[in-house]
Amino acid sequence: MNSSGLRILVVDDELGMREGCRKILTSEGYDVEVAEDGVAGLDLFKERGNFAVALIDLKMPRMGGIELIEHLRALDEDVVIFVITAYATIDTAVEATRRGAYGYIPKPFTPDELLLPVRNGLDRRTLSIEAKRLREERERRLLELAVERSKSSTIISCMTDGVLVINRDRQIVLQNAAATRILPDCAAAPLPAPMERLGCTGLQALMEDALTSGPGPMIASREVALDRCTYMVNASPVREPTGEVSGAVVVLRDITALKKLEVAKSMFISMVAHEVKSPLAAIEGQLMAVLSGAAKDSPGQEKDMIERSLLRARTLRTMVSDLLNLTAMETGNFVIKRSPLDLRKVAAEAVESHRERAETKHIELILAKEEGDADGLVLADRDSMFMVFANLIDNAVKYTPEHGRVNVRIEQEGICVRVSVRDDGIGMTPEEKDSAFDEFFRAKNTYTVHVPGTGLGLTLVKRLVDMHQGKISVQSEPGKGSTFTISLPTAE
Amino acid sequence: MESRQPTIMLVDDDIDFLDLNRHVLERAGYRVVCSVARSEALASLAKEKPDLIITDLMMESLDTGFAFSRQIREDPTFRDIPIIIVTAVGSQLGFDFRPKTQDDLLAMRTDAFFEKPVAAKRLLAKIEELLGPRKPE
Repeated sequence: MNSSGLRILVVDDELGMREGCRKILTSEGYDVEVAEDGVAGLDLFKERGNFAVALIDLKMPRMGGIELIEHLRALDEDVVIFVITAYATIDTAVEATRRGAYGYIPKPFTPDELLLPVRNGLDRRTLSIEAKRLREERERRLLELAVERSKSSTIISCMTDGVLVINRDRQIVLQNAAATRILPDCAAAPLPAPMERLGCTGLQALMEDALTSGPGPMIASREVALDRCTYMVNASPVREPTGEVSGAVVVLRDITALKKLEVAKSMFISMVAHEVKSPLAAIEGQLMAVLSGAAKDSPGQEKDMIERSLLRARTLRTMVSDLLNLTAMETGNFVIKRSPLDLRKVAAEAVESHRERAETKHIELILAKEEGDADGLVLADRDSMFMVFANLIDNAVKYTPEHGRVNVRIEQEGICVRVSVRDDGIGMTPEEKDSAFDEFFRAKNTYTVHVPGTGLGLTLVKRLVDMHQGKISVQSEPGKGSTFTISLPTAE
Repeated sequence: MESRQPTIMLVDDDIDFLDLNRHVLERAGYRVVCSVARSEALASLAKEKPDLIITDLMMESLDTGFAFSRQIREDPTFRDIPIIIVTAVGSQLGFDFRPKTQDDLLAMRTDAFFEKPVAAKRLLAKIEELLGPRKPE
């Protein structure tokens, strides 16, 4: 054993003994320090520490050997302590050993009588330090394992998905909080509980599938409806190293919201299909009538049918482009380029583009500017704003009978620019008003049935206003007209 | 003769179809009354006393036509009026309203079902078939 660097403390009030020990031990390569009594020895131990061996005389002034042994033992449980005494008796040896000494060396001694026990003591120290290290490591591992287990169980119990574990005897052996919430029937039962307690045949069938599955990774999935909610249930078998199935883990995920979305999506597609097929069918029917000569005898009828087909085709084209715009907005592909914009100018262009149509209906279409009205400087996308004005003015003209009036006005209101499009047309019922911005909503009555439209214009307007952090509202009363008001933040 | 002219009620929220079918039916010698909404049609039933009703399926909602047809069948005065439902809704997209058999038609309390646009000949043939037995008393 390499003794170099191992430090030995010698505490003896006899100078000869101290120096004798130092000489013998130093020659063997040990690092030796000496003290002349218990107090000095304790101070040295405290100050320098890390001694492998302490050789301690029993009878010393100030502090005796037995007391010192107790102190050293308290400071360092690994230090190997020998008592060196000229009065070696069984009693003192037993007492010293009881206090924590490893052995005793009777005085006087030969170098070998000193070295041999010291070496034995050192061997023992090495073993005990190693044993301690192993013990500590084992404890640490156990702690880690406990932490790991509590982590896993925390994860399982906190999962929003329901988790159920069943054994091969078809008994539920574990269920987390979410599973208890989803399946209240099996909540009360103490575990393990029979699988039948779930009271859900779909779930049981799935578990049976997982338990009886052949080799290889297998996950059985199905949608299960429970208490007005829909769950995607996945069951996977738990396999022994031999490949034998010992149970199954079942995970229930709430997909109710997804299902609702799915229904909404197919509703929307059905509505699009209907809205597209209706004008196509009308066009087809009218062209069929013209071609078959059915309208030949009444003057103007053929031309009228063809003109109306054209109108339907144009409306359809507008609708498809509105739909594409709405889709682009939803997927984030509709880019708006904001720049300082004079809303009054954009409004004027939109008004002019509807002038002719308004005049054919003898509708007075005015962009009003009253005293104090703002120019309406905003930070906005020009094309979007034109689309907003064009849609609102188009609607106002469409739903206002002949000789009516459509008034566009732009005002400053605090930090906002307020744009209003007012008509004295047919107006809307409160229900119609509530649905005005819904996709494909069109008020249906004897007047509107003659008005072509896509039911998407106002939806588009609202989205565009939203994208500009603006607000849109509508006031309307049947027979008295409608006013659409938009508020947009003023450009800084 | 004029007074015997059968009356057909057309219900559709699409003005073009109303006009088109009115034209076809008037040429074939029927008296035609038009309504653009279910409520309007129900209100004028007693006054117009139609011999046959042709209604669109999707109006205020997806199946307005069915609801309308049910309402007529539940009214003892009008329950025997034959009803033809026409629709632009296709069978695609899992949104199939088209009946497959005569039983389906019965279940839907409708006498015939057509997809728009209906060829004039087919429509007139179906009307003749449905009105046939009750012709000149």
